[in-house]
Amino acid sequence: MPIYNAPLKNVDPKETRRYAGLANADFNEQAIVDACNEMTYIAEPRGSWEIYDYDNEQGIVLASPLFKIQGSKILKHLSHSKKVVLLAVTIGGNVENFIAKTFHNGNYSQGMLLDAAATTAVEQTADSLEKNIDAFTRPLGYKRIWRFSPGYGDWDINCQPQMLRLSNAAMIGIHHTDSMMLDPRKSVTAIIGLVPEMDPFSPQKPSCATCQQKNCHSRVKKK
Amino acid sequence: MINIFDGAMGTILQADGILKPGVCPELLNIQSAQAIINVHKQYISAGATIIETNTFGGSSLKLAQYGLTDKVRAINIAGVKNAKAAMQHNGKVAGSMGPIGRFIEPLGDISFDTVYKAYFEQASALAEGGADYILIETCIDLQEMRAALLAAKDAAPGIPVICQMSYSEDARTVTGTDPQTAAITLEAMGADIIGANCSTGPEELLPIVKILAQNCKCPISVQPNAGMPHLINGKTIFPMHPADMGKWAPKLIEAGATFIGGCCGTTPAHIAAIKEAVSGLADPVRSPLPHRLALTSRTKTIFIGTDLPTRLIGERINPTGRKKLAAEIKAGSFISVKKEAVEQTNAGADILDVNMGVGGIDQTAAMEKAIKEIAQIVSTPLSIDTSDPKALEAGLKVYPGRALINSVSAEPDRLKYFLPLAKRYGAAVLCLPLSDKGLPKTGSERVAIIEKIIAAAKQAGLQDNDFILDCLVMTVAADKTAALEVLQALSLYHSKFGYPSTMGLSNISFGLPDRPLINSTFFAMCLAYGLNAPIMNPYDSLMKNTLLAASALNGNDPHGQHYSLTIAKQPHSETAAAAEVTPRNIIEAIKHSIIVGEKENIAQMVEHALKEGHTSNEITENALTTAMNAVGKDFGAKKIFLPQVMLSAEAMREAFLKIKEILPSQASANKGTVVIATVKGDIHDLGKNIVSALLENNGFKLIDLGKDVDSEKIVRTAIENDADIVGLCSLMTTTMTQIDKVIASLKKAGSTAQVIVGGAVLTQEYADSAGADAYAEDGVIAVEIAKKLTAKRKGSQAL
Repeated sequence: MPIYNAPLKNVDPKETRRYAGLANADFNEQAIVDACNEMTYIAEPRGSWEIYDYDNEQGIVLASPLFKIQGSKILKHLSHSKKVVLLAVTIGGNVENFIAKTFHNGNYSQGMLLDAAATTAVEQTADSLEKNIDAFTRPLGYKRIWRFSPGYGDWDINCQPQMLRLSNAAMIGIHHTDSMMLDPRKSVTAIIGLVPEMDPFSPQKPSCATCQQKNCHSRVKKK
Repeated sequence: MINIFDGAMGTILQADGILKPGVCPELLNIQSAQAIINVHKQYISAGATIIETNTFGGSSLKLAQYGLTDKVRAINIAGVKNAKAAMQHNGKVAGSMGPIGRFIEPLGDISFDTVYKAYFEQASALAEGGADYILIETCIDLQEMRAALLAAKDAAPGIPVICQMSYSEDARTVTGTDPQTAAITLEAMGADIIGANCSTGPEELLPIVKILAQNCKCPISVQPNAGMPHLINGKTIFPMHPADMGKWAPKLIEAGATFIGGCCGTTPAHIAAIKEAVSGLADPVRSPLPHRLALTSRTKTIFIGTDLPTRLIGERINPTGRKKLAAEIKAGSFISVKKEAVEQTNAGADILDVNMGVGGIDQTAAMEKAIKEIAQIVSTPLSIDTSDPKALEAGLKVYPGRALINSVSAEPDRLKYFLPLAKRYGAAVLCLPLSDKGLPKTGSERVAIIEKIIAAAKQAGLQDNDFILDCLVMTVAADKTAALEVLQALSLYHSKFGYPSTMGLSNISFGLPDRPLINSTFFAMCLAYGLNAPIMNPYDSLMKNTLLAASALNGNDPHGQHYSLTIAKQPHSETAAAAEVTPRNIIEAIKHSIIVGEKENIAQMVEHALKEGHTSNEITENALTTAMNAVGKDFGAKKIFLPQVMLSAEAMREAFLKIKEILPSQASANKGTVVIATVKGDIHDLGKNIVSALLENNGFKLIDLGKDVDSEKIVRTAIENDADIVGLCSLMTTTMTQIDKVIASLKKAGSTAQVIVGGAVLTQEYADSAGADAYAEDGVIAVEIAKKLTAKRKGSQAL
C-alpha cells in the first residue's frame, strides 16, 4: 500500500497560530481561520510509505541496498524497533506559488499565516498517513513510536536521497535539491519505528531540546 | 438458518510447513491441491457449512507480486474445485476476493476502472469454477468495495455477493466509513449479504453487526479475529481461546448475523466452538427499516424523511450565471468549487448539488474531477446535477457513497439512460415532473408525471426509499396559480407517495421586485405544506431565518429553543456601520492605524492629510516612520509578534501607494538601495520576503532577486545598482556556505555594499567568520541595522 493521499478536511488553527509565531498574542482569530480554510482548498496532500525490517543493533534498514542510520539520537530512538516505516508526504507545489503571490500582492500577514497553515497541513497529512499505516502494522502486533525526520537532532539531512527512494516519494512528486532540500518545499520525510506491542519501550517525543535550531521562534525555553 | 463459515487458512498451512516464506499462498491451489483440500476438510469436520476458497489474493493486481498475472483464471478455478472437492456437496463454496493492496484515486494511485477489471477477471473465474457465493472480504475502503461489488455482479450474475468490510477499534474502516454508511451504500448497489471481518475480535464487532442489521434488509455476516494480536518472539499470536470465541457467537447472532465464522487466528477448534454455541438458535428478529431516503458520502449518512427536520441542498456549485466560477472550471481549477463545498457545509448545507454546466468543456471530465475533489474535502453527501448521462456515470462511479441524481424527468431519454445508472451505482433519484409533453400546470398533472417516473424506476429495480420528489416551481409573475399549484403538489405527494419532497425555490419570484421577500414567504408556505429538502443558497440569511422560524412554528423545534439560541447569536446590523474618518489629528490617526495594522481606511486618511496641507514628508516621517519605529520597539519587547508587524507593514504599503499615486515626484523617500536574495541551493522564500517587505515599507529601494540565486548574479546586481546593502538569506546548513562565497566575491569585485545576513541556521559567530557586516536575527532588526549601515556608508562616502 505505498500511496495514501489523506483527505485534508481542515487545518488546525491552533497549530497554525503556533507556527506563525503568534503564541498567545491577541490577533484576529478570523484571519487565522481564513488562512486555514484557504489552505484546505489549495493544498494537494499526498503520501507514500514502505515498511522494512530493521536491525536495531547495527542501525540498518534492511532494504536493498541497505540503509545505515547515522545519528545518536535517532539510533537510540529506534533501539527497540524490529521494523521501520519510511514515509514521505507533501501538499504540492501550488501552495508555494499561492503564498508567494499573496505576499507579493502586499498581503504580508496573510502570506505568513498561509505559510504557517501550510506547515500545519503537511504535519496533519503525515499524522493521517501514520493512522492509515496503523491499520496495517497493528494487526501484525506492532505499535508505532514517534516519527523522526532527517534534520532533527544529529540526523544529517544528507540521507534525504535514501529516504525519498525508500519511501517511494518520487511517486508523489517529491525530489531533493543539491543542498538536500525537499521540493516541493512543503514536504516531509520521516522514519517510524515499529516496536512489538508487548515491549514497554516508549521513547520521549523529540522536543526542542533535541533540536539544533537555536533561533527558532517556536522554541520552548527552559524555565 | 445460521450459516457457519470456516476460519483462517494461512496459519494452518504455515504450521504444517506447506506455505513457506516468499511463496504465493494462492498458487498452492494448483501446486498443493490436496493440502488445501485437507485444511478445508478440517473445517467441514468442525461444522462449517460454507467453505471459503483459498483465493484471497487471487486478483491479477495481487498475483503480480509473484509474477503470476497469467494464472488468475487457473488459480481461482482450482481454488473453487478444491473447496468443492472437500465439501462433497454438503455445503456451499464462497469464492474469496481480498483487497488489491492499493487505494483507488484520489486516495491512492490506481483508477477505479483498473481495480474493477482485476476483480471482474477474478470473479469470472470463481463463477466459472462454480462458486455459490462471491465473498468480497477485509475491504478497508468503501470505494474498493464498490468496484469489487460492481465487478462481481457483472461477472457472476445470479450468484449472491457477500460484502464484508474491515472495521478498526474506532468502528470505522481505515478510510473512515462507518457501518451504517457501508450498509446503506452497499445494499443500494445490490449487495446480497453485508458484513464485517478481520481487524478486531468478536467483542468489537458486536456493535458493528447491530448497526449493519439496523440499516439494511440484507442478511448479515461476521467473521471476527481470535482477539487482538500480540507479537511474541517475532510471531503474531491471536490470543482468544476457542471456548471464549464460542461464547460470543450467540450474541453476534442475536445482534443480527446469520452468517458467522472466523478470520485471523481462528482454527477448526474455534469454528467447532461457534457451531456448538449457535446450534439450535433461531434466526434473529430484525426490525423493519424506517421509511426514509438515505444519502451517503464515504464517512457520513444523511436521512431525508417526512418525519425528519428540513435538510438543505446547497445550490452554489453551479457555474450558471457565475462567470468567475465558470472561467475557473474551464481553466481546470477547482479551488473555488472546493471553497463552495466547504463554505456551504459550514453554512448548514446537508447535501451539496454539483453542476458542471460550463459551455465548451468536457463535462464528463469536469464532473469526474469535481466529484473527486469535493469528496476528498467534505463529508457532505452529494447530488450530481447534469443532463448528460456520460457525465452522470463518471460522477457516480468516482463518488465513494450513495449520491442523489438531479434529476430524472419523464422524458424518454432520462428514463432510458438515467434509471439504469441509478440502479447500478446505488444512487437515489430526484424525480422532476416534466415530460416530453411539456410543463405541468396543476398539482395533479405533476402527480401524474411522477407516477410515470416511479413506475419506470421500479421496473428498473429501484425501490421506495430511492426517491425524492421535486415540485417544479414556476414563476408567479407569469401564472398567478404557480405558487398554489406547488403547494397542492406538496400535499398530493405527501398523501399519495409518502416520499420526501424538494424544489428549487427562487424561480417563483422571477420578474418581481424584492425577490428575497417573495422567496422567503413562499419558503415558509412550502414548509407548512411539508417541504423536506429545499435546494437553496445556504448563505442566504433571510431564507435560513425563515427556516428557523418555520421550524419553531411547525413543531420541529420544540419551544423554539434552537430558534432562540441562534437568533440571540446573530449580530445586529446597525452596529456594523463603518465609522466615518473624521479624526481630530489626522497624522495621529494614520500613525495609530499603522500601529494596529488597519489598512482598510489608510489610503483615505492619507488623502485627507494631503488635502489638509500636510506634506508627504511630514506624513512619512511623523506618521509612518514613527509608527513603524513603535511597532519595531514593541516587537523587540515581545509585546507583539511578526504577523502583527506585517499587518502594520501592509498598512504602511497602502499609505505609500497612495502618496505615490497623488504625488509621484515626492514619493521616493529613498533611504538606500538593497539587493536581497536567498542564496544558491536554498529555495526558502518567506523569511527573505518578510525582510524585503519591511525594508521596502521603511523607505528602502528593494531589488529582490528571489530564491536559489547564484553568487555571480548577486554581485553583478549589487555593482550595477551601487547597492548600499546586500541582504543574504540561508536557512540550511547545506547552503549557508554560499554566504561565504558571495561575500568573498563581492569584496573581490570591489563592492562597498554593507552585507547583512540572516536565516534560521545562521548565528552572529557565523556572520563574523564569513565576513558579513551584520547579522540580523529577524526582519525588524534587519531594518534597524540597514538604517544604521546606510547612514554609516553614506557618511564614509561623504568623507
